[in-house]
Amino acid sequence: MAFIGGMLGAPLIYRLFIELPAIQIDAHYGVLIAAGLIVGVGTRFGSGCTSGHGVCGLSRRSPRSLVATITFMAAGFAAIYAVRHILIY
Amino acid sequence: MSIFTALLSGLIFGLGLILSGMANPAKVLGFLDLAGNWDPSLMFVMGGAIGVASIGFAVAARRKVTPAGEPIKMPTARQIDRPLIVGALLFGIGWGLAGFCPGPALVALGMLEPKALVFVLAMLAGMGLFEWNSRRQIKSAT
Repeated sequence: MAFIGGMLGAPLIYRLFIELPAIQIDAHYGVLIAAGLIVGVGTRFGSGCTSGHGVCGLSRRSPRSLVATITFMAAGFAAIYAVRHILIY
Repeated sequence: MSIFTALLSGLIFGLGLILSGMANPAKVLGFLDLAGNWDPSLMFVMGGAIGVASIGFAVAARRKVTPAGEPIKMPTARQIDRPLIVGALLFGIGWGLAGFCPGPALVALGMLEPKALVFVLAMLAGMGLFEWNSRRQIKSAT
């Protein structure tokens, strides 16, 4: 919980030193809800995310994490490809 | 992990995500969109993070406790099973749709972005759904 507190507080601390970079969220609310739901289920089911498998797992040379990272990267590439180049929104 | 170490780690992690652009979904999607105007820079963020974390994990592998005296626990799962693949697939699709993964979404929430709040709430609901489902399966198995 304190770790999450640190992450939530990071923008506050950052702003003390330099201006926060602008972030841009293009996805509509419906897409955000759907994406959030499957990210929540997927990260629990697959036991990790970009930092869990991608950074920590690969740093430990975990074969499970390598497979997971390749899988979610491929799925991410495919999802945005479908949205931007097939469905076009 | 002591509260102080956890807070500090979360803070450093969050600062890194902001500075590197990982907390900006438009940038993340620019990286994932190979067929568009591809921006490969986040690859170096991940590569750099793995480089630094590898040193930490190599040190951790030789120790039993952290410098603060807490026991070090490492994941023990070994099999590459269906939940791992299905979970990674679902997570990847969500990541590619919104440009958010859990860490950056929390940082963006700290920036008071309403859309980040919606994403984080949906993500928590998704995690809750997983919990509910796994509890139900344990119950029906006994």
